[in-house]
Order: sequence, then C-alpha cells, then structure tokens
Amino acid sequence: MSYFLEARGLRKTFDGTTVLDDIDFRLERGECLVLLGPSGCGKTTLLNIIAGMLATDAGELHCDGDLLDAPARGLHQPMRERRFSMVFQDFSLWPHMSVADNVAFGLKVQGMARAERRRRVAEVLRQVQMEAFADRSPGNLSGGQQQRVSIARALAVRPRLLLLDEPLSALDARLREDLKVELGTLLRDTGVTAIYVTHDQSEAFSLASRIALMYQGRIEQIGAPEEIYRAPASAFAAGFLGVSNLMPYRRHNGGLRLGERTDIHWRLNGVPDEGQLMVRRESVWVSPSEAPANGCIALAGVCHRTNFLGDRHEAVVSVGEDGFTLRGFSDERVPEGTPVQVRFPAEAVHFLQR
Amino acid sequence: MNAALAIARSRSWRALNARLPLLLCVLALGIATGYPLAILFLQSVFPQILGGSLEGFLDAYRRIGETPDMLVLIRNSLAWAGATTVVAWLFGIPCGYLLARTNLPGKLWARLSLLVPIMTPPYIAALSYILVMQAGGFGDTLVGGLPEGLRAWFFSFWGVTLVMALSSFGYVALAVEATLSGIPRRFEDAATLLGASWGQTARRILLPLLLPAVFNSGLLVFLEALSNFGVPAVLGTRSNLPLLPAEIFYLVTSWPVDLALATSLSSLLCLFALFTLYGSRWLAGVLGAGEYRPGQASITPLSVGQRWLAWAFIGTLFVLSSVVPYAAMVLTSLAQTWGVGWPTLTLAHYTDIFTFGSRGLQALWTSLWLSITAATLCIAIGGYIAYVNVRASGWAQRFLDGLATLPRVIPKIVMAVALILAWNAPWVRIDIYNTVAMLLLAYVVIYITDALNYSNSTLRAMSVNLENAAAVLGASRFTIFTRVVLPRLKPALLAAWLTTFIVCMRELVASILLLPPGTDTTATFIFNQFEQGDLSVAMAMATVTIMLSTIVLVLFTLRRR
Repeated sequence: MSYFLEARGLRKTFDGTTVLDDIDFRLERGECLVLLGPSGCGKTTLLNIIAGMLATDAGELHCDGDLLDAPARGLHQPMRERRFSMVFQDFSLWPHMSVADNVAFGLKVQGMARAERRRRVAEVLRQVQMEAFADRSPGNLSGGQQQRVSIARALAVRPRLLLLDEPLSALDARLREDLKVELGTLLRDTGVTAIYVTHDQSEAFSLASRIALMYQGRIEQIGAPEEIYRAPASAFAAGFLGVSNLMPYRRHNGGLRLGERTDIHWRLNGVPDEGQLMVRRESVWVSPSEAPANGCIALAGVCHRTNFLGDRHEAVVSVGEDGFTLRGFSDERVPEGTPVQVRFPAEAVHFLQR
Repeated sequence: MNAALAIARSRSWRALNARLPLLLCVLALGIATGYPLAILFLQSVFPQILGGSLEGFLDAYRRIGETPDMLVLIRNSLAWAGATTVVAWLFGIPCGYLLARTNLPGKLWARLSLLVPIMTPPYIAALSYILVMQAGGFGDTLVGGLPEGLRAWFFSFWGVTLVMALSSFGYVALAVEATLSGIPRRFEDAATLLGASWGQTARRILLPLLLPAVFNSGLLVFLEALSNFGVPAVLGTRSNLPLLPAEIFYLVTSWPVDLALATSLSSLLCLFALFTLYGSRWLAGVLGAGEYRPGQASITPLSVGQRWLAWAFIGTLFVLSSVVPYAAMVLTSLAQTWGVGWPTLTLAHYTDIFTFGSRGLQALWTSLWLSITAATLCIAIGGYIAYVNVRASGWAQRFLDGLATLPRVIPKIVMAVALILAWNAPWVRIDIYNTVAMLLLAYVVIYITDALNYSNSTLRAMSVNLENAAAVLGASRFTIFTRVVLPRLKPALLAAWLTTFIVCMRELVASILLLPPGTDTTATFIFNQFEQGDLSVAMAMATVTIMLSTIVLVLFTLRRR
C-alpha cells in the first residue's frame, strides 16, 4: 500500500528548541489534510518543510514515489522542483503584475505556449469568479478578491500538492465564512491534494478529509473530523475542539468517584482505572425542575450564570460537593443561585487517560 | 439695510481671517522664491528688462543656439551628470544588495563607510583629489610617481565623473538597501514554488520592484551632479571640462559680465532639472511597482570567498571615497614643507586660523552665526508653512505647494543668480544687496526645503482630530499650534535644524556669489585660499569645518538617545 504523500519521523530544532518532533502522517491522493492547532504548535513550520522552504533535521518525506527529503542520506529536493504551490496568509500577490500576469506566472515558467496559457488563466480565474478583474492590479482589490487571485495563481499550474497557510485568517468574519464554503467546493471539484494550515476549527471541520491536531510540536491526534470530535485522544484534543467538560475520576466501590467526594453508578467494563471523564457541553442538559433519570447520569448543582446564545442558553453550573464547573444547555434563563439538576446520557461520556 | 451690510462685511472678514495664514504663506514664499525666479526668467527672455526695455527678445537663446561652444557645454553637462549617475549606480547597487540581502559581517561598519562620503562636501573631496593627483602631489611624493596616463585620465571627463560619483553613490546604496530589505521574501518564495529559477525570480520579481528605488536615487544623483557648482568649478576647470554651473558663475562674476547669457543658461539648467524630475515621475508611474506592505526579506548566506570579495568591493570604495581624500586633506593641513617623501608636520596652519582677528577665524565665526540663524529661521518659517500647507486646501494651497517644491529642484547657483537680480533691481529700495543679510536670505530660501519636507511628513501622519480635540475645548488657533502641533513636530524640526546647519556650514555657491567683498564664510575661505595657492590653510579650514559638523551631529545623536 503506497500513499501519495508520506512523512516519517520529521523533526526540526531551532537554536536548541524543538519545534517539531517525530511527525508521521500519510495522505491519499485527492485528500485534504488540515493541520490544526494553536499558534506556536509547529503547524506552519511543518508546512514550510513540506514546501521545501525549510529542510527537516531528521526523518523522510515522500511524494508520489519521489523522495523529497532524507537528511540521513543528504537528500533535499529544492522547492522549485517539487511542483507544489502555495496560498499565503498575506496573499503575497506581486504588486507590479496584473491579476492575469500573476496567475500566468507559473505557466510562463513552465514554458506553456501563449494561447494555451491565456486559456488556462481565463479558466482558473473563472473558477474563482475573478475573470472580470483580469487586467486589474492587485493593489486595487479587496482582501477577499486578492485571496481568490492567490488561489487561482496556485491552482493554475495544476500542482501535485496545494499548500494553504491560514489563507482566510487575514479576512473579516463574514467574508471568511463565504470563502470557506467556496474553497471547499473548489478543492472537491479540482480534486487537488491539499494541506491546509489553520487555527480555526470551523475551517478544519468543513474542509478536512482528515485533521492532524497539533500541539507543542507533535501531532496530538490524526483522523476524520467526526472521529476526532467524538473520540478525542487527550484532554488537549477535547478542550481545543468544541466545548467540553472534564472531570478527574477513579474507580470506587464498583462505580466511579468524580473528584474526591461525588460518586456515580457506572458499569466498569472497559473503563480505565483512573483518568478524566469528558462530556460535551451539547450533551449536558440543565433544568431547575427535577425529571426522571431515564438512563441518564443526574447530578445536583447550583447555577452560577447563564449566557444567552441566540437559540438557547448556556448554563454554568457548580456540581456536587467538589464544586466542579459544568457547562450545559438549558431552555430558559436560570436565575443565579438556583438549585438545578444536570443530566447527561451515559453514551455521551468519554474517558481520557492523557 | 445697514445691518445686512454689516453682517455681510463681518462674514467676509471672517472668511478672510480664516484664509489669512495661507495667504500670508503664499505671499512670503512668493516674494522669497517666486519673484526672483520670475525676474530671472524674464531677464533671460528680455535682456534689457531691468533697464525698462523689451528689446532683444530671445537674443540670448539665439546666441546659445548659434554658438557651437555653448551647445558643447550643454551636451557636456548632461552627459557628465548622466555618466555620474551610471557610475553611482554601478557602485551603489551592489553595496545596497550586500547590505540588504546577504549575511555580510560588519554591516554597521559598511553602512558607516557609506555615510562618510555623503557627509563630505563634494568640493572638498575634489580639492583633496587634486592634491593627490596633480603633478608634485601626494601621488608623486608618497607613492613615488604616478603614471602620466593615469594623471591624464583623472584630469578628464571620467576622472571628474569618478569624484562626483564617489561622493554620491551612498544615496543609491542606501535607497537600494531600504527597498531590497523591505521586499517580503514571500514574493520570491511564491515564484520559486511555482518553479521559477533564481534568474527568473530576480528578473521578473525583484528587479521590477527595485526599479523605482534605482530611478529615484539616480534622479537625486543626476540633479545633484547637474547643479553642483563645487566639483565643476574646482576640478572641471582643471580638466578642460566646462560645465554649466561653473560657466554661469564665470559669466556673472568675471569681466565682461553677461547677464543675459547667464540667465538664459540658468533657465535652461532649471528646465533640464524640472524635465528630469517630471520625466522620472512619469517613468516611475509607467514602471510602477504598485503598493505593498514591506516584510521580512530573505538573506543569502555568503561563502568565505564571497565575503572577501564583498568587503574588497566596499573597502575599495571606502578608500577611494573617504580614506584618500581625508588623508590628503589632513596631511596637507599639517604639512610644513613640500618635497619628496613624508612632509614635516606642524600645527601652524591651525594656529593661523584660530588667531584672534585672523581672516580664518572671522570666516568661521561668520559661517557659524549665519548657519545657526539660517537653520533657526528655516525651521520656524518652514514648520509653519508646512502646517498651513497640510491643513489647507484649494487653489492657493496647490500654489503654495508648488512654490514650496521649487527650491528642491532649482539648482542653487540659479537661485543665487536670481536673488542677485531680484534684490539688485532698480526698483528695490531696501539696501540688502551686498550685505551679509542677503546671504542669510539666500540660505533660508535655498535650504527651507528640508524643514518643509521633514515637517510635511510628520504632519501628514498626524490626525487632524488631535487639533479638533483642542479646538472643542476652546483653544485658540495660536494655542493649538504652540501646545498641540509644535510638540509633535519637535523631532522633525530638530532633525531639519541639524541638516540645515550642516549644509549651511559648507555652502559654497551662494556664499561666493552673494557675500560682500572682504567677508568670507568657511567655504569661500577654503575655495579662495586654495585658488591662491595657500593649500595648507585651506585644508586646515576644511578639516575644522568637517570636524565641527561631525561634533554637532554626534552631540545631537547622543542627546536624542
């Protein structure tokens, strides 16, 4: 079984600080891998290594049967020979060229004939809905338009691999939302293999075939978006994606003890001896009136605060004698200090050991 | 009826009052700059106009067109300024690249080595080079005989070009460095990722983005060379290379005085300067690089061999542009006897200059108080005019803006000649011509541009709301200017004061044309002593002047920290 892109044991150190450590991943043709993580997690460094701007200190990088990087064997393919292309956060359109010239640049370098080049430029500009702006100069375009041109420039050469470095983060929220949807369609329609760097989980969810969640220079977890969301492998993964509640637990008297004093009934099959219990905010239901448990875990608590979210309320509740803070949803505004019942189904609970 | 009239009158008074500062500024600059230049131009067209007659329309221009020598002179001047620009590019562009884009060790020293020739007045460098290259000069006595071929080459078109280029390539280097280090490396990365080779990236991406800086700095060098008086007067005359500024000077000062020819050549010189300025602006628009936000530039590591080569290049330029002229200058100022080998050293020439009541000390004193007064007046008037200009609008403002840019382009010799004509005219009743006050006026008119430029850029960056905030609280126009605007302008004005002081201390052409007989500034003192053969005293004064400017510069820099 061979993959289109494969990284094994990549590592990068800057001045004694390890920025990337033991990075492994594989990517199939046509997939979009999203490198997701907080700033400083090493995702941009990894992208730059894949692009060839930086050389890895260890490990190997393969693409489509070619060996791109293997420092142990003294191999480093320069970036101009990799036939990748890149979309930058700051667009980086050449200010002295028109939109069409920017897009045509890579084709010209490849030596494509003039007529064919012109046709290809028109085609790609149409794909990003910028054909009307072909003769404009990039300086006269809005941020969103510039990023469309930048995407067209990267797609025009039909790259083996498209690299996108936080392409939407320089745009305002509304535009980001629109362009995100379009970009998803574009990636699917062109069938291009892509690696997309972002710190925004909604971008990751809507664009990724798979997400590599990065933290402190390592890949914390890699998998399909749903998989990572449903079964985070660590407390970091649980906290970074979505809103989660985490409580320390250990086995106690045939059930579970949360914190030091709160006991709940639980069937212990397959439950690790101790660790963290995780439940998503959307699975937690908060109500001032008591209801039958119906197979749910029910805990008593006191409401701290409610935040109106538009379609419902988020309630922050202090639970049990240990006073854990849990976040859940409620149908109505609950006054501060009201005793409430907190319920969540057993299926929604996930156990973490890290 | 009367009430309505009173209201109308008060309304128009208020409108006038609001525009008063602008009108005052237009009037002041109009008299200072516009009027002399208008007289100069009219005089060139109607040679007899100062005598009240319109006879001889365009005579002078006709004479220029019919005299082959004149056409050669004009062609020489343009070719020489062009050659100087090209040589300054050849020297400056590689320096700028090395400073901006490589890991050259000792960049701070390299940058300092560029500043020395910029700070050295070109005529002093030219004088020093004459001391080195002339028969019996340092080249002969210390190095042991220069080849005649080299001497002949130096005292020719290309030698004069080399001296001028050496004193101006620093502008090119600094401009290229600033631009190259601001072109984000992403621009190059994007091209390389798309498969472009180093050469393609350089040609298609870097070069077009660099061209505006190359042209702008080239324009500066060209204008400086075209209008420079010192180098043509000192070196051009010794190299059988007549150049426009020097020729205009001789037409005005040597018998027979030919004002018509002088003013028409001056007008042509202005025309070339203006043409160059607007031509290059047009060119910059055509080549336009477009706007971009400067970013981190990529740095190319140099191999050991390349480092040596780079430093050999920069070092050679430093030796030629600074070490050789300064060594010649200082050595001459200390030399007691001239002969073969190392001269006997003495401080006698410095003692001469600093002897109480000597001409040297008088010249130094005159220069000092003139420069301090001129610099102070320049920032006071320039700061206010810039403020009015930035905050006003309409035709009067555009007119003011045009007037204010004029001295930036008009060669100093032309301005000096124009001022002579304007204040020596029969209808002028004030006895200012042939006094030191005339020179003070000339300094202010010529050098007010620095104060205007520095203040302009600060003021444009300053929000008008700062003033509105004060106005809302009831502050008067005067209070707003002194309490809000001036404090913000202070750093710019200080920098302008410093620049103006330094350039006034070394000012040659206006001084030599406008000083009353028997009075000297440091520059005219150096120039005259040199021409009269008293080389050591001339060079002692040059050393003192440069040291004085440097001390002031260093003091200012230290205080700002």
